[in-house]
Amino acid sequence: MIMASKASVKPSFETTAWRFMRYSGILLIPLAWFHVYLQDVIVGVHAIDIDYVAVRLADTGWVIYNFLLLGFAFAHGMYGLRQVMFDLVHKESTRRVLSILMLIFWLVVTAIGATALAMGARPELVQ
Amino acid sequence: MAAPSTPLKNTVKGYATYMGREGHYAFLLHRLTGLGVLLFLTIHILDTATVYFYPSLYEHAIELYRATPFMLGEIGLLFAVIYHGVNGLRIAVTDMWMPKRWAIEKQRKAVRLTLVVAILLWTPGALVMLYNLLLHNFGVDLLAMLPFGK
Ligand code: HEM
Ligand code: HEM
Ligand code: HEM
Repeated sequence: MIMASKASVKPSFETTAWRFMRYSGILLIPLAWFHVYLQDVIVGVHAIDIDYVAVRLADTGWVIYNFLLLGFAFAHGMYGLRQVMFDLVHKESTRRVLSILMLIFWLVVTAIGATALAMGARPELVQ
Repeated sequence: MAAPSTPLKNTVKGYATYMGREGHYAFLLHRLTGLGVLLFLTIHILDTATVYFYPSLYEHAIELYRATPFMLGEIGLLFAVIYHGVNGLRIAVTDMWMPKRWAIEKQRKAVRLTLVVAILLWTPGALVMLYNLLLHNFGVDLLAMLPFGK
């Protein structure tokens, strides 16, 4: 008899990450596309300045939106970078060192971005 | 004697010489656009963070994005985000809900379709950005030049 093909094995980190790439990607379609179309096409870089950002970051809804974008886009991109690195580097120890460096880089940049989002812009400090 | 082969060399050689046609080009373009958007995003998170950490610097950063080469880059960035998304959707949907469609002929058609969809979604935005670029950086107002005026 042929057994069912679905065995219940605890999914490994890589399996969860593989799923995360797909679900986060689908979520990024509305999040990233709307953001870029809004900021770069409708508003445009000539209309963006610190006062514009200050107004937007005073709005809880946009702050939440930006948090989601920061969390999903950067995690997705950094995990993607790790995949590319695994294609280029096959030595286990090098892979581990580079993975840890990428993890630290991801955490530091995310923390910087999240701090700015949480604290908001400070146009009053511009000299 | 030939130089020893390394995973790095093998992979790059594979990228250049593997002839998987549509699937191969889609893979390269997906990788290139993904890495390109990630590079932009890293810089973008840091320059946006100056609104809190170093407000005086923010204007200078935005000033850069207004320069002509950067604005051309942003038109490319828009294509990258859209193409990567459409193609990523093809991969994700096929993997998770219709793995039977991982057949060469079906995917060849799907790959061509992703490119057409991406170009259709990109064109309106690209035209608006080109209009803004000519207006702000060259003083050319394309809309005012239309015969029926503005
Ligand atoms: C717009 C919606 C997006 C969708 C639907 C999407 C989808 C995907 C999928 C499904 C993969 C896995 C490909 C595979 O395993 O074969 C992937 C890889 C990747 N994505 Fe995205 N993604 C999106 C946005 C982004 C953004 C905003 C970034 C940059 C921050 C990004 C960077 C990457 C990178 C670097 C990879 C790895 C490329 C590779 O392995 O060749 N993606 N994406
Ligand atoms: C050139 C095109 C773009 C422009 C003009 C632009 C503009 C902006 C502006 C003005 C902000 C400040 C916050 C706000 O106003 O809500 C912001 C934040 C942000 N953008 Fe963009 N954006 C662009 C492209 C992108 C892309 C392609 C992505 C990702 C795929 C992205 C991801 C983010 C994230 C994550 C934040 C929050 C940053 C933080 O944590 O401080 N942006 N963007
Ligand atoms: C003996 C070696 C290989 C065989 C027999 C093989 C076979 C195939 C076949 C039949 C396809 C479908 C073609 C299509 O969609 O047009 C395919 C797709 C693909 N192959 Fe290979 N391949 C080989 C090596 C490689 C290598 C070395 C790479 C990476 C450098 C690679 C990456 C891919 C990718 C990314 C796709 C497309 C998947 C997608 O559409 O997302 N293959 N391969």
